Amino acid sequence: MDLEFRAAAQAKLSTTPTAMPVTFAEILKSPDIAERFQKIRRFFFLRESTYDMTSRCNVRCDGCYYFEGDKQSSRDNVDVAAWRDLFRAEKARGITFVVLAGAEPALVPELLAAGYGEIPLGTIASNGLVHIPESVGYRIHVSVWGNDATSERVRKAKHMLERQIEIYAGDPRAVFVYTFTRENLAESRTVVEILASRGCKVTFNMFSATVGYQGALTHSPKSLAETRHTMLSLLHDFPEHVLFSPYSAAAHTDALSLHNLYTCPYPRQNRGQFGLGRTFRQYHSDLTWVREDSCCVPDTDCADCRHYAAGSAIVTARMNRHIGSADQFRCWLDYVDTYLAVWIQGYPKSPNLCAVPVSPSLALQGDAPASARPQGTGR
Amino acid sequence: MEQRIAEILIQELKLENVTPDTFDVSCDLVKELGIDSMDLTTIVLVLQGEYKVKFDEDIYPSLTSVRAIADQIRQLQGTVS
Repeated sequence: MDLEFRAAAQAKLSTTPTAMPVTFAEILKSPDIAERFQKIRRFFFLRESTYDMTSRCNVRCDGCYYFEGDKQSSRDNVDVAAWRDLFRAEKARGITFVVLAGAEPALVPELLAAGYGEIPLGTIASNGLVHIPESVGYRIHVSVWGNDATSERVRKAKHMLERQIEIYAGDPRAVFVYTFTRENLAESRTVVEILASRGCKVTFNMFSATVGYQGALTHSPKSLAETRHTMLSLLHDFPEHVLFSPYSAAAHTDALSLHNLYTCPYPRQNRGQFGLGRTFRQYHSDLTWVREDSCCVPDTDCADCRHYAAGSAIVTARMNRHIGSADQFRCWLDYVDTYLAVWIQGYPKSPNLCAVPVSPSLALQGDAPASARPQGTGR
Repeated sequence: MEQRIAEILIQELKLENVTPDTFDVSCDLVKELGIDSMDLTTIVLVLQGEYKVKFDEDIYPSLTSVRAIADQIRQLQGTVS
């Protein structure tokens, strides 16, 4: 274990951005930064929306955001032509990246194909128990909530990891997404070891409670700190298989939620007409959408949201809050490089530029006191 | 100032067939040029350094043209009341 990593693992985050103020142009003069910025900048054109492809699922997980709120009662539209028309219209209004979720999107492969035929960049969020045809060339995120014993208890499915690996090991589309809960920290290393031994790529998610959730999976301050340490340790020990960055670990395990740190730009929290606030929609399986509810994980409590999908947009959108120093901007670049590698099929992850992450609190807007920071649930 | 902003914009976005002299300073950057929010943020950050001002992110949506950006910079510099 090298010294830099040890420092990061101990979560002693750098809170001093720089001795002297620097300009963005000066930051961009560093060759490593300039090169990485040019790499990620080619993907600034991505404009995302998300689609619940079906209300059906083949498992029922504790704390699942889909089965909260009203969206689960949507009447499924199973007409392929109607979905094709929708994706065509989405493309026409400038959407270039789709996230196909559900309940379980693998149950409607013909609808996934309709999306792929119109908008070829995207990701499918699946539980990984049903194979999606290779002709659908999207990224596939396979959700992992622990070892087989834990999955059986929390997701009511037997031999889940074994079956997921059997279906998706060796599939270049697949990224396994390990969701850290308060209860599954100890088994994460074993699970990542198993996945790495089968050549699978892994990234990390944080359980984020839905509005009103009172179960045992919600993180505590102690579990957040331990999760950060574990994430950094796994990233260090499995660099070829873990798609993550030290700053990703810091941002997703901070005591403040992503919204309270960075101010969420999704319409649910942002009624403005800039960026995601202008273009993002979250469609239900009946092809309807409600602007006020639109975000990547609807019905999640914004005050507890540390979801990986949310962070991909929230942290990325706040480039302007990461120019206090060259290292702070390197951290942001690492975060965006990670997000692109996780979400874009074929995008190669580069080595992280910052081994020791800066404190995410440096990205808090202005000098607002804690009491003035954004809070609440978005409801 | 408008010409310099146009120059930075052309350079950052690698726009072709337009020069700072011929750039329409009232052109809507988002609706007419199709500039996305991340590119606009990049330009704003470059301009912050150039003109030694700090744009509050709440006003990004109002930076819809070169003229609007220039007006905002003048306001931040205190040259416009």
